[in-house]
Amino acid sequence: MSSQGTAKRGRSSNYEYVIARVRSRRASLFDDDDYRKLVRMGTGEIARFMEETEYESEMNALGSRYSGVDLVEYALNRNLAKHFEDLLRWSEGALYDYIARYLRKFDVWNVKTVIRGLYAGSDATEVEDDLIRAGEFSERRIDQLLNAGSIEDVVEQLDDTIFGDPLAAAYEIYEETEVLVPLENAIDRAFYETLLDGLPDNPEIDSPTGLYIEFLEAEVDFRNLRNALRLARSGADVDPSEYYIEGGKLFDEQSLAQLASNFDGLVAAVRESTYGDDLDQALGDLEDAENLVEFERALDAALLEYADKLSNRYPLSVCPVLSYILAKEREVDNIRAIARGREAGLGPDEIEQELVIL
Amino acid sequence: MIETIALVVNAVLQEGTTGAAPAIPASAAAALAVGLAALGSGYAERGIGAAAVGAIAEDDSMFGRGLILTVLPETLVILALVVVFVV
Repeated sequence: MSSQGTAKRGRSSNYEYVIARVRSRRASLFDDDDYRKLVRMGTGEIARFMEETEYESEMNALGSRYSGVDLVEYALNRNLAKHFEDLLRWSEGALYDYIARYLRKFDVWNVKTVIRGLYAGSDATEVEDDLIRAGEFSERRIDQLLNAGSIEDVVEQLDDTIFGDPLAAAYEIYEETEVLVPLENAIDRAFYETLLDGLPDNPEIDSPTGLYIEFLEAEVDFRNLRNALRLARSGADVDPSEYYIEGGKLFDEQSLAQLASNFDGLVAAVRESTYGDDLDQALGDLEDAENLVEFERALDAALLEYADKLSNRYPLSVCPVLSYILAKEREVDNIRAIARGREAGLGPDEIEQELVIL
Repeated sequence: MIETIALVVNAVLQEGTTGAAPAIPASAAAALAVGLAALGSGYAERGIGAAAVGAIAEDDSMFGRGLILTVLPETLVILALVVVFVV
């Protein structure tokens, strides 16, 4: 896709076309009623239900190889990949760049999966099923990655991408220590740091581009926040600055290092910040129940609601596309949670708590 | 800004009173008006058409509605045509 990508960047954006299609697809996502039905179904019924919806073609294609929850999971991944690949195919110009920027996180996922597969010695077909082909990497590149014989091969093949230099540096550490953590960190960092790279520095605050940048910054902030909260909760003796991602507004490196050891201080700092209003209730819950999982759900819901608001306010911008991407990801996560939850024998109420529904 | 406009208007009015011939004949001005209106509606239809095709690609039943919305700006040209008969 990379050569196609550069060609697309030269043209002007085609917001009207992409947004008309995206809005239509957004409207056909599962709603509250569908979820209510799904949480009361068994795993077989969920698969049956999905065959009658949007996911029909994926379910049929994978039906002969998998069954039960695995079938649901792989069909979800494939459908997600199909839709996001469509977005990249339609869009041109600046819009393509904005979308690709965010969807690179699936490249991150794919590279990680391939490396983990090699590390664990799984065979290529197993790894292939776990990939989500939604990112900017071309089919060819992914196939090459799948056929790589060693982790070193993977690092070499990614030389010309954003992951090239950080991965090469991390590979040396990997050779010494034989653990995957440095490699995975390098990939994540490369992604988050290019997320904000090369966007206009001082966009007008209320322009769609400005809001998009604000949104990406929020994404980085929330990622930092999640890491900090997890560190604070687990009390692990890790240097927080090692996991710090630059580009957010909420923390700088020092303040994060200080706050990560102090759970109450961290919550207070977030309450004071610009996100305080949106997250007020979630923060209250967090302090009362001290339940990190619920707080993370609240973060997701807050992000989704914010994106929806933007998409209604700025109809001809990247915002509706973004809101669709988020909503689709949530849907896939939700259905997966339902299917896995039912498999593990959880009750409908317990599963409903796990879902992010607006 | 407003002062300069006033100046220009004054100048134009004086020109008119002294009986100088207009820069272009009236029929040419009317033709220009229609042409500009067509350009405007063409630009408007560009966006609507793209959106309509997108909507139709997702849902065939949008064809009729998409078509109507796409040609709505065409009314601009029809209204501009009135000028030709008035002049």
